[in-house]
Amino acid sequence: MLQLLKIDLKKLTSYRTFWVVCGLYFITLAFATASGMEFLKLLARTFADFGQKININRIPLYHFPDVWHNLIWFSGLFKVVLAIMVVISVTNEFAYRTLRQNIIDGLSRSQFLYSKISTNVLLSLMSVAMIFVIGLITGLIYSPSAAYSNILTDLEFFPAYFLEIFFFLSYALLISILIQRSGLTIILLLLSQMIELIITANIDDELPWLIPFFPMRSIWNLIAIPYPRYAFQEIKDYIDIGSALIVVAWTVLFNYFSYLKLKKADI
Amino acid sequence: METVLSISNLTKHFGRIKAVNNLNLEVKAGQVFGMLGPNGSGKTTTLGMLMSVVNPTSGTYSWFGETPSHHVRKKIGAVLEHPIFYPYLNGQKNLELNCMIKQCDPASIPRVLELVELTERRNDKYRTYSLGMKQRLAIASALLNDPTVLILDEPTNGLDPMGIAEIRELIRKIAVQGKTIILASHLLDEVQKVCTHFAVLKKGSLIHTGPVDEVGKGTDTVEVNADVSNLNEILLSFAGTSSINRENGSFQVSLRDGFKSKDLNQFLFEKGIVASHLVTKKKSLEKQFLEILAES
Repeated sequence: MLQLLKIDLKKLTSYRTFWVVCGLYFITLAFATASGMEFLKLLARTFADFGQKININRIPLYHFPDVWHNLIWFSGLFKVVLAIMVVISVTNEFAYRTLRQNIIDGLSRSQFLYSKISTNVLLSLMSVAMIFVIGLITGLIYSPSAAYSNILTDLEFFPAYFLEIFFFLSYALLISILIQRSGLTIILLLLSQMIELIITANIDDELPWLIPFFPMRSIWNLIAIPYPRYAFQEIKDYIDIGSALIVVAWTVLFNYFSYLKLKKADI
Repeated sequence: METVLSISNLTKHFGRIKAVNNLNLEVKAGQVFGMLGPNGSGKTTTLGMLMSVVNPTSGTYSWFGETPSHHVRKKIGAVLEHPIFYPYLNGQKNLELNCMIKQCDPASIPRVLELVELTERRNDKYRTYSLGMKQRLAIASALLNDPTVLILDEPTNGLDPMGIAEIRELIRKIAVQGKTIILASHLLDEVQKVCTHFAVLKKGSLIHTGPVDEVGKGTDTVEVNADVSNLNEILLSFAGTSSINRENGSFQVSLRDGFKSKDLNQFLFEKGIVASHLVTKKKSLEKQFLEILAES
């Protein structure tokens, strides 16, 4: 498995687009997640009554343990950038026909898929590590207390975050293998959420129980939006097993469909 | 001799098109095996199936008597259709990557680069290579693992005469090392020059297989010229003449079975004619190939 990861990294690390896209992703992620307080200050400056109604310094955006849930939900919005990198990497193999040559040279079809999946795991783990470090630093800066009990609370959001990223990269891998063309695949990737919303809106009356099982919706249900709690609303500030299982099931299915498609195709 | 490749009843249909139809073939160790056929006769599809990139509709094949797997493929060096590499990687890195896939020692990279004379350009990106260099890099990559079998599909496609000569020389060099080579081509001249055995495919069916040496056996053709005005009639009066063609100012005389060029020469001499030009022509593979295709 490690050998397969090395093979895929060998392809990517000399590819300038890879560095540009990944660089943009991780830099944007770092700055966006770390500048929440600055954003609140900007809001306060722009809207005269914002700062008067709420004292922004009392919003515990970066206080342990809130910081984990807050940052993880927000950084989930950026995962599409990483997914586009996966699409480029996989569709390139079809465009250059290097997938065919890899098989001829002695890689099995499943090994090829494993090499792509292992890169997805690596990219997901890097996102998790990144957010953990940023959360830790900002938390230590802004939190009134850095008690271990507070820091160690709510850490279950990290496995959930890993699952969220890996789920989405698996989805990107599957549609890349199915469509094989980068432009079309990226368009579908960007529209997936919209298409699903249109479908769920239409079956809302007849089959409401089905909606949590939709793939994109399952992600929203896994990690709920945390910010309404600062407007004194009830939020879901935990990970429930049911929604996690739905996401796991989709992730397994995406990768299994990729495997089936690769196995059957003439390449 | 050890059987390297054995194909039985291999068939591939693309929809209604039968790309390969019930193919049976054996390749033995040490052969330079030419696969001939017009464009679209199923050569590349067959090779694709042998390298597991095309799934057969039915039929089986085995390499070295083993059922095909990715382990077996590592022992085979293959270039199908065009050279395929990552355009943004340089030659060296492309070979390093292929070395990782084939799980071979990267120490062999300088050796194969030297063999195909690409050492100087190894640090340039693949996309900057000329077509000939791409072909040579593909052959270098196929040789990385020191494979016992080499598959080359149209290795001289699109090359200039010098490039063709270089590749042909390279194939000879490799064949001398005792490797089994399977060469698909529609350039008959090329096959005749380097191959020991050949097979002819037409519309996905095998219509002929045999050694290249046997081509040219049978009736001889003699090219004759002499400074006589009625040479045509004199040649027609020779008992061994079956037909005469005039080509490029000389007479092409096809001889009946049992007659040799020597007999024709003697006949002319007895008539008091000294030939200024007399050449026995072996039947070319091209001629044989066209005959085989016409017969089928």
